[in-house]
Amino acid sequence: MTQSPPRPRPRDDGEATTPPPFAVTPEVDGDTAVDREPAPGRLHPLRRDGDLLLTGRAEFLDDIALPGLLHAAVLRSPHAHARVLRVDATAARQARGVRAVLAPEDADAQAAPLPAFFEPSIVGGKTSTFRILAGTKVTYVGEAVAAVAAETLADAEAALELIEVEYEVLPAVVDAEDALAPGAPLVFGEWGDNLLAVFPFAEGDAAAAVAAAPHRLSGELHTQRHHTAPMETRGYIASWDRAGRLTFWGSTQNPHPLRTNLSTVLGLPEDRIRVIATRLGGGFGHKFNGYAEEPLVCLLARAAGGPVKWVETRADALLVGAREFSHRFTVGYDDTGRILGIQDRVVGNIGALGSWGGWSMTFPAGMTFPGPYKVADYDIQSHAVVTNKAPWNGARGYGKETACLALERMVDLIAAERGLDPADVRRVNFIPEDEFPFWTAAKHLDSGNYAGALDKVLALSDYRGLRARQERARAGGRLFGIGLAFELTPEGGDFAGSFVRGYDTSTVRVYPSGAVTVLTGVTSPGTGNETSIAHLVASELGIPSEQVSVVQGDTDTCPYGFGNFTSRSLATGGAAAVLAAREIRDRMSGAAAALLDCAADDLRFADGNVTCVTVPTSSLSFAEVAETVYRRGLAAPGLDQPLLEVTRVDLPHNFHHVPDEQGRFSAYPSYPYSAHVAVVEVDAETGVVDLFEFHAVDDCGNVVSPRFVEGQLYGAISMGIGGALWEHQPYTTDGQPVATQFKHYLTPRAGDLPAIRLDSQHTPSPFTLLGTKGAGESGVGGGLAACVNAVNDALAPLGATAHHLPLNPPNVLAAIDAATNPGGAR
Amino acid sequence: MTIQETPSPPSLPEEVEEVPGREITLTVNGRPRRVRIEDRQLLVEVVRGQLGLIGTKVGCYNGDCGACTLQVDGEIRKSCLVLAASADGAELTTIEGVGGPDGALDEIQQAFWDNDAFQCGFCLPGHLFATRDLLDADDDPSEQDVRDALVGNLCRCTGYVNLVKAALDAAQRRRTTGTADRRSIEEEGPRPADACTLHRGPRP
Ligand code: FES
Ligand code: FES
Repeated sequence: MTQSPPRPRPRDDGEATTPPPFAVTPEVDGDTAVDREPAPGRLHPLRRDGDLLLTGRAEFLDDIALPGLLHAAVLRSPHAHARVLRVDATAARQARGVRAVLAPEDADAQAAPLPAFFEPSIVGGKTSTFRILAGTKVTYVGEAVAAVAAETLADAEAALELIEVEYEVLPAVVDAEDALAPGAPLVFGEWGDNLLAVFPFAEGDAAAAVAAAPHRLSGELHTQRHHTAPMETRGYIASWDRAGRLTFWGSTQNPHPLRTNLSTVLGLPEDRIRVIATRLGGGFGHKFNGYAEEPLVCLLARAAGGPVKWVETRADALLVGAREFSHRFTVGYDDTGRILGIQDRVVGNIGALGSWGGWSMTFPAGMTFPGPYKVADYDIQSHAVVTNKAPWNGARGYGKETACLALERMVDLIAAERGLDPADVRRVNFIPEDEFPFWTAAKHLDSGNYAGALDKVLALSDYRGLRARQERARAGGRLFGIGLAFELTPEGGDFAGSFVRGYDTSTVRVYPSGAVTVLTGVTSPGTGNETSIAHLVASELGIPSEQVSVVQGDTDTCPYGFGNFTSRSLATGGAAAVLAAREIRDRMSGAAAALLDCAADDLRFADGNVTCVTVPTSSLSFAEVAETVYRRGLAAPGLDQPLLEVTRVDLPHNFHHVPDEQGRFSAYPSYPYSAHVAVVEVDAETGVVDLFEFHAVDDCGNVVSPRFVEGQLYGAISMGIGGALWEHQPYTTDGQPVATQFKHYLTPRAGDLPAIRLDSQHTPSPFTLLGTKGAGESGVGGGLAACVNAVNDALAPLGATAHHLPLNPPNVLAAIDAATNPGGAR
Repeated sequence: MTIQETPSPPSLPEEVEEVPGREITLTVNGRPRRVRIEDRQLLVEVVRGQLGLIGTKVGCYNGDCGACTLQVDGEIRKSCLVLAASADGAELTTIEGVGGPDGALDEIQQAFWDNDAFQCGFCLPGHLFATRDLLDADDDPSEQDVRDALVGNLCRCTGYVNLVKAALDAAQRRRTTGTADRRSIEEEGPRPADACTLHRGPRP
């Protein structure tokens, strides 16, 4: 549970005592430029608990100390595909410090199959049954087969060595195209093939439009398997009390659905379980619920008769896959570069299906097309293919990044082929500003000024100046590249039938002392949304932000909610908290009107007071009103609403679940977008890419906390850059994962990245309470696509195309070789 | 529902092998501490475990991320790469010991907060100590110096933008308040950032 208690800080002179209205832009905040003074006149509060984090006092999952805490270790399959013939754990049960051992049959006897985070059959996909421990067949290296709880982690790990498992190794398939070929080994024999689902997204007649277009080009594009790598890995602690009630602490993004699933798996009434989501050291989708280790620690704790903790190792974390997509596309266009038709066969290598939710990234991977562009005829077929790699889990970007990459490559290829400026090709294709809301096959786009954002980023980056520098550099024989990208980021998705929902719930409670608590179903992965929610509620009630605490992640106290995913916190839980605060204010207005003998409409909530605007001397403090309501409610005239606690639900009002007469629907309500410019130099000898400038402009509508939005963009863009250039989870052909540590999995370091420069534009959503759109995922696709475009632009003088990611030295050299040395590799 | 007993209570083997261990003395954030450790324990395990100082984090146990950074006898170290037994007699400063005893923040911590230099904060030990180490040696570093100094640490949330901004801001605050260490600037010899091999030639 993250609880941010109200802890007053000393205020600077001149600092406003009342926060600004609920939605502010950076212009209003006036404080988003670099400042050298400690928070001068800062209107938005600093990140909550910053002082705790900076002094090492903030508790994460692994910091929880319970008396007698035992440690779990998991035995994992060393084979990519094998039948499990026998698991013998006898010797492990006798080993030093061991308190519980679970083999598959023990787990099966005590637990139901694992519910899926997102059940494929909801969207017409194939499915299977997944157990906590695999007792009959393993489908990837790393699948859990047995587990031990012991007094120390070292003892638990030592005991794993004593468990004997007999496997019959089966042929494995790791490549998606191989998996689709006839005769391929079947990951799930009962399916008959390895295709989980195909998601089509089409309008018009793409084949005819492409065939009739004046120009056409085709290509292939491959992104490697890469994931989110939060600095804190996952972890869970289970503890049963003597009455048989379960308390479960989890480094998880979805405490309430996790509780529901534990109830299903363990056969325990849901109210007998308390799930507490601890402070997260990053989430990014990696900490969606649905992992086998969640119920596993509960079973181990019950068997051992003491609390059990399991913390994911970095090698375990690196098993979790994502984002391995390929595109085979054809695009038709006219002389001006206007796109007339797109066909793209998208294939996601989702690894073996499991109970984790990431496979569903193949859905937005197709749905996001045709991005910010107005294209009448397109046909996108997104395939989810299973192989014997570990399954995917959610990864920031959620497949939208691959659509962005493919579209932005197409635009740049068109520009290069036509000899046009890539910025101009984007301009002729943008959905015009006056055509919103705008329908595509599976999106109802809320609002946008795409050309405005592009112009802004061109100005920010001095695009003309960059092209001039490029000309000089090229004249000197240097490979200088400029990459543009425009990213559309569908956010806030709602998938009825699953726990991936588009609404959320918040309670606002006022105490007699005037203290205020918000209890909300949305959780924070470390982004600071609790600070923003407190700020919103404080603004509604006219009290300092410090007077408002926010409680998240505790299923015993918070209303049922869906946690953290798809950049929805403020448009759902934040908006719900605002609605609840407004209702509280109305109730308190009623009371204050009676007490001050003033019309309720004439009352102003500001500076911690409730003041009658017509008689300014007539004023009560917020706390006095609250206390009076508790002490005299229902006993004095006008004080007839004594309940100062309100729960509200809200959501972005732009869901279209029932297809219209043209079959169009929209599961995502909010469409932020961003424009990016990357500048690189490529060393033709070494293949090293030096990214030395990055500029971006985003538009996520109204912004509550400008600095937090900037922070999200910095992080997301860096993640996209990492995916473009370095991050990779390779597998051997027999299905062994190669990247097991950060020396193999190369996330960007400070020296790898330039100072990302940002500007913003604000086009409010007409469909959300605050005019906000989602913030958090925007930037992954733009960072990825702008870098890939920049490298390809740099390689243009050599005639090389680099379409196999990551664009690390081996892949860049291979691309150069293919163009300059067609006879073979050097 | 009640707690079930272990299905078949294991009978303990006759002789349970002892894990070799010892007692070590440390000075931790200025206070003397004596702790019983297992010889196989890493310093980070002892700091987080026996000493209960959970501000030191673990992101990899492999020397890659820097979340476990602390100071051993004044030098910054990744404590997942140090055997606790080898630190016998050492003076340790952890993230808990950086600010004032009352939880007050030093200039670097305050600059981190004011500049929104972190999100989840899991990476802070490495970034705070690396920044401090740099500013102790150089009171007016360039942006590249800061990036070089942070290169041993991973952050997944910030893209390092505000971390770098905060480090430069902290340097300015130290110069303004006169707490910058002038002596070390005049000292001969390489500065921490000079060890970095990532410098590139001029860009076009
Ligand atoms: S835990 Fe020590 S460097 Fe990562
Ligand atoms: S702030 Fe989250 S890892 Fe650095």
